Amino acid sequence: MENVEFEASEIEYVSYGGEHHLPLIMNLVDQELSEPYSIFTYRYFVYLWPQLSFLAFHKGKCVGTVVCKMGEHRNTFRGYIAMLVVIKPYRGRGIATELVTRSIKVMMESGCEEVTLEAEVTNKGALALYGRLGFIRAKRLFHYYLNGVDAFRLKLLFPRSELHPSLPLMADKYESHMQSDQGDTPFK
Amino acid sequence: MAEDRAYEPPSIPPRASIPSGDNTVWTDVSPLLDAACQDLQEGELIHGDNFNLFAAMSALEIMDPKMDSGIACTYYSLDEAIENGVAPVPLSADKTTDVQCVIDIMDHLLACEATWHKGHSLAQTVYSCLYLLRPERTSSHALLHSYCKVIRATCKAILSAVSEARTHEEEDLFTMAYGLPLSGDGDEKCLSLLNAVEETISRQLRSCKASSSKRRVSEDIEPLQNNPDLEEGYCKALLCRLRFRKHFYHLLMSMKRPQGRGLELARKHIATCISEIDYIKKSSDFLRGNAHGMSKQNLENTTASGCQPIGFDANLNSRLSAPTPPRSIKILCWEKALEYFMKLLQDLDVICSYTLAPSLEAALLFVVKFQKAKPDLVARAHLQLLLVQDGKLYGRDPIFSMITRATGLPEVAEMHDIQKNEFMVQLGQLVINLLKILCTNAAWQRRKLGKMLQDWRVTYVQLEMAFKGEFEEASKTSNNKKVCFKIYQHILAWVEEQTYWIAFRFLNLGFELELYSVHDYCMVYWYTYVVLIKLAEKKHLRMSMSSDSAKKKTKKKRDSFKDGEMDNQISAAVLFLQSQIYLSEGLSMMFAALRNEHRIVPPQSPFNTEHEIFIQQFELLQKACVPDHVSYATFKESTVHANFDTLAICDYFKEAQKIAKEVKSSFSNDPDTMAELRRIEQVAERNSIALNVCRAGALDPKLKVSFAFSHHPFYATATVKRS
Repeated sequence: MENVEFEASEIEYVSYGGEHHLPLIMNLVDQELSEPYSIFTYRYFVYLWPQLSFLAFHKGKCVGTVVCKMGEHRNTFRGYIAMLVVIKPYRGRGIATELVTRSIKVMMESGCEEVTLEAEVTNKGALALYGRLGFIRAKRLFHYYLNGVDAFRLKLLFPRSELHPSLPLMADKYESHMQSDQGDTPFK
Repeated sequence: MAEDRAYEPPSIPPRASIPSGDNTVWTDVSPLLDAACQDLQEGELIHGDNFNLFAAMSALEIMDPKMDSGIACTYYSLDEAIENGVAPVPLSADKTTDVQCVIDIMDHLLACEATWHKGHSLAQTVYSCLYLLRPERTSSHALLHSYCKVIRATCKAILSAVSEARTHEEEDLFTMAYGLPLSGDGDEKCLSLLNAVEETISRQLRSCKASSSKRRVSEDIEPLQNNPDLEEGYCKALLCRLRFRKHFYHLLMSMKRPQGRGLELARKHIATCISEIDYIKKSSDFLRGNAHGMSKQNLENTTASGCQPIGFDANLNSRLSAPTPPRSIKILCWEKALEYFMKLLQDLDVICSYTLAPSLEAALLFVVKFQKAKPDLVARAHLQLLLVQDGKLYGRDPIFSMITRATGLPEVAEMHDIQKNEFMVQLGQLVINLLKILCTNAAWQRRKLGKMLQDWRVTYVQLEMAFKGEFEEASKTSNNKKVCFKIYQHILAWVEEQTYWIAFRFLNLGFELELYSVHDYCMVYWYTYVVLIKLAEKKHLRMSMSSDSAKKKTKKKRDSFKDGEMDNQISAAVLFLQSQIYLSEGLSMMFAALRNEHRIVPPQSPFNTEHEIFIQQFELLQKACVPDHVSYATFKESTVHANFDTLAICDYFKEAQKIAKEVKSSFSNDPDTMAELRRIEQVAERNSIALNVCRAGALDPKLKVSFAFSHHPFYATATVKRS
């Protein structure tokens, strides 16, 4: 598929804003991910954690989305990235990184100690993206997906404040890094 | 979501076939739903308090083909499919066609079986065969009936082996079999019917050969089918298929015999199965050549003839496969299925040919070596069942005596008291668990080994305390003081050695599973290096203690030759580890230098640092204090100053290579260790060269370093290229 020509600044990022965004998210995920999800699954995420879901628009067209949750898991407060999608012609331009970075920032500010997700072992793009963000491959999950492919459980551990007293600034440092290095749209 | 109330799926009328329970009764909820619809905004949901992600994910959208397994069916029920003639008996009024169709069914079933073994559900693979689902329907067709019987019996045997071994790990799909007729009437006697059918076809084959060669009037034997020219080919094609099933079933039964008593016999059945597979392969030219005019070409080619088999419908059962959306399953093609069975037979042969009286250490190493061939679930389950029976190795040697021998302790009376110590019992259980875990798939294995480290550590501490208490007791009441002390020392040293061995394997498996990124290699090899040092130290301690005990025994006989041999063994085992210590240290320092000299630029995460990566990668080791006093700070201290110049002074790779070369002569009778030493030598040599090139071209920005596991599964080989 041909890549679309666009300036990074033309991409608009918005937080989940209500029922009108739901069909956009569902269409994107249904198109791009292997797992079938019911509408209950989507609503479970976006109604409970609307602040963790974001959409990316280009000239009014939804081109990417991220859907997440967070909660207590075995005595840790943990964020979870459920779905991350950018449609093919828009890939490789930092949109997914921007979407997921926004979610992770909210998780960190909300007191999460770590973030997890699963990715297919064959999904090199996603693995590289999360690797750059500091995720490690904590486990391999044998035949995890319905299609029989293995998955990696990826994990991002946030620094504990006693180890890095200066860390609240970390994410801010990244903003300037992103702006200068990747020409992505500046954080709001 | 507390205020969400309803998103209602279209309601389905209650089916008369589902009766009301004791405290339940069917009611029409349409009025309630109508009323709710008036009241609900879009996106609202009526839900219970326990509505969670699992509930949301388990919910199905009716009439959505991606979700609703019912909608994808051609037939609503098995009865309906049968009434519509999907699985006729006989398959054709024409006997030649009937035989052709039966062979296609046999082949497709084999492909289904292999697909099942590879981790798909039984319902959608083997039991997509309608003939299997209604055992009584085939009774008038001896050939098909006998084949169906042996398939059901085989599936049942394999299912029970895998469930019993519980090696199925995440592969739980494998053992899901509810609602399937796994045993038809008289399936346990499947072999007698199969033998009778085989006998008949053998006679038909003999008869057709005789009549064609000598043209004499043969006995009064009804031929298999109508076309005399094809009689021999079809008889042969059927015979190898029937014989494969017979010997495969015999093989499973032999392996089930306690204490490995059937293994010799099992090997004979394996050999026969392999040669029958050969005949099956050879029959494909004949079958394909005579398949003209049959049903359309089978794209997936799950049969030798290339024809679509009659009597299969994977969708009929998809409603039995749990509350998941229907999965589309791709059945392995016929060639792949045969390949799978060949591999399975070879793996089983490795299991069957291993000694029944190995030392504990040898048994552990055997499982690790066996896993290198990447055996599938069925082979691994069988190995595990054989290894651990009634808490004994191969059902023969109690684990406690295996441990005693492994620790190098002589059999003494005091052992019996120790055996009763609750922490020794616990240790025995840990060893059994370790053996079982080593039989699981690499992904599951690594997780379990990591978690197990803490148990080993805790048991060590508990044993140490218990021994201290008992030692004091013994020194008061008897003159057994020395003996007791020695026993404790031996056992404790052995427990520590095992703990570090597990940690080493845990770290190695991370490479096989591709869990580490290049930027983590530096810390992973560094951790491997510190674990290996401890392992070598404990091994040395334990081995010299046992050699001391042995020496005291032999001293009286003035057998000084044995002393030397014993010491030699110790130093060889430790030197083998020493070569790997240098190699891991060298790799760690090389990655540190590449990083410090900016040849590798690690990613700058906005959210965390290398410190958090370290904590996560080694969380389970750190929790278990394996080893003590190791932290991110110690890692940084030892790597922060590494550069190409310091590496020139201390050439770890040269050392590794040298030791590996020297120690080889001690392992001339051990081909596995020899091969491992050769690999270590190669990796060390190549990395030494790569490092020199890097050093020489330190200022050349065009030099690019890359890594591959081309010579060893977990020691990386560096390549330097000018880009």
